[in-house]
Amino acid sequence: MNLTIHPLIVLLFFPGGLFLLASGLVFQWADRKLVARFQNRVGPRFLQPLADVLKLLAKEEIIPEGAHRGLFVALPIIALAAALTAALYVPMFGVQPFFSFQGDLIVTIYLLSALTISLGLAGANSVDRFSLVGATRTLTQLFSYEAPFLLAVIGPALAAQSWQISKINAYAGETTWFIVAQPIGFLVALVGLMGKLELPPFDAPEAETEIVAGALTEYSGRGFALFRLSKDIELVIGLTLVAAFYLGGIANPLDFVLKTGGLLLVMALLQTAFARLRIDQTVGLWWRVGALMGLVQILAILAGIYIRQWWL
Amino acid sequence: MTLEKHGENRFVVPIGPQHPALKEPGHFEFVVDGEIVTGASVRLGYVHRGIEKGAEDRTWTQNLYLMERICGICSHIHATAFVQGVEKLAGVEAPPRARAIREIFAELERIHSHMLWLGVAAHEGGFDALFMYSWRDREVVMDMLEMLSGNRVHYSANLIGGVKYDLTPDMMDKIREGLNYLEERLAHYLDVVNNDETFIGRTRGIGTMTREQAQLLGAVGPTARASNFAYDVRVDAPYAAYAEFPVEMVVAQEGDLHARFVVRILETMESIRVLRRIFENMPESELVTRVPRRIPAGETISRVEAPRGELFYFIASGGGEKPERVKVRTPSLCNWGTVITLAVGHKLADMPMILAGIDPCFSCNDRLVMVKRNRQDPQVWTWADLRNYGIEYYR
Repeated sequence: MNLTIHPLIVLLFFPGGLFLLASGLVFQWADRKLVARFQNRVGPRFLQPLADVLKLLAKEEIIPEGAHRGLFVALPIIALAAALTAALYVPMFGVQPFFSFQGDLIVTIYLLSALTISLGLAGANSVDRFSLVGATRTLTQLFSYEAPFLLAVIGPALAAQSWQISKINAYAGETTWFIVAQPIGFLVALVGLMGKLELPPFDAPEAETEIVAGALTEYSGRGFALFRLSKDIELVIGLTLVAAFYLGGIANPLDFVLKTGGLLLVMALLQTAFARLRIDQTVGLWWRVGALMGLVQILAILAGIYIRQWWL
Repeated sequence: MTLEKHGENRFVVPIGPQHPALKEPGHFEFVVDGEIVTGASVRLGYVHRGIEKGAEDRTWTQNLYLMERICGICSHIHATAFVQGVEKLAGVEAPPRARAIREIFAELERIHSHMLWLGVAAHEGGFDALFMYSWRDREVVMDMLEMLSGNRVHYSANLIGGVKYDLTPDMMDKIREGLNYLEERLAHYLDVVNNDETFIGRTRGIGTMTREQAQLLGAVGPTARASNFAYDVRVDAPYAAYAEFPVEMVVAQEGDLHARFVVRILETMESIRVLRRIFENMPESELVTRVPRRIPAGETISRVEAPRGELFYFIASGGGEKPERVKVRTPSLCNWGTVITLAVGHKLADMPMILAGIDPCFSCNDRLVMVKRNRQDPQVWTWADLRNYGIEYYR
């Protein structure tokens, strides 16, 4: 679908801005509800995530002693801005991305990493011991999943011969789904996304039974709300990206709902099925298994491309 | 800043008294080097309730209800320990059927306690699915206890000299049905504990305690039995009806967290088996024998196997309507030493599970600690003294 809308509306309402925030909340609700149902719980009501955000926004934000005030206030905003910006390059809701250029794939991924880094910095900008341990773990985890995730996303890019998300998306729609041709890449991308979002079993950075809320322990009120919102948006972007690349592209809103919904279902199941990994286990898993699998996939794709060129 | 505060270049991670991992207040300090714990300490006493002192102000019968309130999870076993001590002092014995019913309650309580623990321990390891499912299934045994006594937590089944509630054949059938379901579910959980890769990664080889360590540190209950220390009051000094309906002791060799999971689950299955045996040969008799209002003077100890290990009561009677002294030592108190010792060398992420591994019950083990401050004679404190001290302390 290709729409022409005034850029200001794109940024503030659809598909950026408000609509994106709302979809983040809807996805958070769907994720929580699915996990709850898998765990034999009732789960939250539909408006619960919105209620949480509104409540947090209305509350006083306490800036703890020992933290840099400017950084403390700025980091949640930077995180949210990074997430919102990243959404502009991704075919959100089945609409063609409004800003697109050669190499926007890399920009998107780095914007998502910027989010994680501001999370880590937020934890480090504190004298609270839970925050510090959480920040260490957040950044350690960043260094472990980032490379395999990147390798997994590069797979379709190589096959499509482009670094532009919209082109890869279009190419994925034309050929057989990449999940068939590159199953390993799909797996690494999906699990990598879970690591990126710090979802169970990769939730060591915010393991509440050990370090309370990890990097965000000292955050309250507005800052906490913004961080949570940016994570929700990251969830939508990540799902869209993986669906666009591996599940035959996203061409219209129905595609978007079905494919991201299906992915979310699988992800919720994976979240329920395992015990939390320790941070050393997470790192070991990603470097020993994830990165190697990603590399094997890339080599296979490269070999495939050369063989095809040689034949033609 | 943190480092300066502690001066010795130590990085201390405090857990508790308020912390998401702890459902009851206790304070732990873990000195960490990166993720590795290099030192640990514990501070207890946040929920001291003055129960032992309170017991001296109540009659023998009133005390039954007080003792039951020491613990909300193993309430029946506290009352049983107390009642058996009092019966020993009075020189009476409960009728056979009453003793069998005491055992039935005790074993049902063990099932619910171990299933509760399974959920909590899984939650500490971030395995919330197991937590939710085991607690859902625990409702089955809670319903049984409610059917028998009308209560889910404090059943107050015991009387001095017998029990309050009888079991009808209809009730036994219902319990049997529930037990069949539970046995099936427990077999499934045992399978999960033994075969789930991520779960094994968090439990096998973690917090390993040798038999010698268990003996040295005075560990009791499933914690000790998981380290191949075969000691179970139900087997070694049978009380209630355990002589007629014996249980098999469950021990494991490994001594790690995984072994503690296995021992507790197998113990629960053993409880189900012994319950079935009792139902087959339920003795017929009265439920209560007559006990004098005044208990003859004397001192006695009473030991029972609570779900967490050996529970120890010392009871002294002056020959009146009220006890002169009741001393309670709960199993959790014996097991703290193992936590502090085993914590060193492990990762911070393992701490909640090692902590939960002994199935701690904070409120039960908080007893009076004598503080010698501004007092001439610290040995004898009256109720008024204690009350004043408490008010002054928190002012």
